[in-house]
Amino acid sequence: MPASLPTQAEALALHQRLLRDDPVAWNDVAWAYLDHLIAWLAPRNLSVPEDLRVTAAEDAVMSLCKRPASYDPARGELFPFLCMAAQRDLQNLLQKEKRHQGAVSLESVEQSPQAGKYLGKEDDSCLKLYREDDPNDGHDPLIAAFLASASAEERRVLELMLDGERDSSVFAAALGLGDLPVQEQRLRVKQLKDRIKARLRRERRSS
Amino acid sequence: MSRALEALARRVEGDPDYLAFLLRLYAEAEQLDDPGLTAALGCRPEDLTRLRLCRAPRSDPARFRADVARIAGHFEIDEVRLLGVLRRAEALRALAGAEPGSRGMLLAARDEEPPEDEP
Repeated sequence: MPASLPTQAEALALHQRLLRDDPVAWNDVAWAYLDHLIAWLAPRNLSVPEDLRVTAAEDAVMSLCKRPASYDPARGELFPFLCMAAQRDLQNLLQKEKRHQGAVSLESVEQSPQAGKYLGKEDDSCLKLYREDDPNDGHDPLIAAFLASASAEERRVLELMLDGERDSSVFAAALGLGDLPVQEQRLRVKQLKDRIKARLRRERRSS
Repeated sequence: MSRALEALARRVEGDPDYLAFLLRLYAEAEQLDDPGLTAALGCRPEDLTRLRLCRAPRSDPARFRADVARIAGHFEIDEVRLLGVLRRAEALRALAGAEPGSRGMLLAARDEEPPEDEP
């Protein structure tokens, strides 16, 4: 990420590019602000899980790109605007998380030693949905929607997680990472699992 | 490239507003990993995440071409090659009926006359 935040003049130029529908500006906004936003949220929300903070920062950046007119330069500088938007998004995420408390226990998908396909622990409502909706082929709408938009590697990883697989080397092999050093394999597998779990949480919250 | 940016680039692979969505469709159809996609695009490896984070080209033909030209110019990649990748991705999306409006995007990808140097 850039070492320092854009100046307000640079921010205004970026905002103008968004308003002019410059496709590259979307990347530049993420590049300029995402890491700074995550860093800004962290000390103010220490008790909040990191993936929620990251999601809130991502949401704020994506929202500005898609609706640049939501920012009015006359009312202040861009970074404080994004910080407020991210904090607001985080509050909304937390409220949704509370509403869905107990609805999803994604960790248990991979931590349950006896988790068979679509038959997890009794308190794992994510897996319960599979059983309730279609015990044979597991067409939970949430998972089905996720799979429809997931990349091939995400699909492979989720299927292994649902199979109760816990061995990183199995995931690495399925992803074609077997030639990488073990540490690198574990890191890549963990990143993918974290991404999938974060997406599932987001989709659960928005459903 | 920060992990957060890479994670966002992966997240938006499911968002049709982002170029990542089209690049994913193409890569999956061609069974390309990231180095393979980089080679297909002719871009620098370090630019792949940045490319994914760009907005997808707009749907009408003139703007589609203008957006592709803008992205290609910014990342110093061959415009015709990028156009070929995105046309293929749009065709895949239209065939899959991945989202409403895909017909418009397919037309946008096809209707414009090719540039003089395009085979």
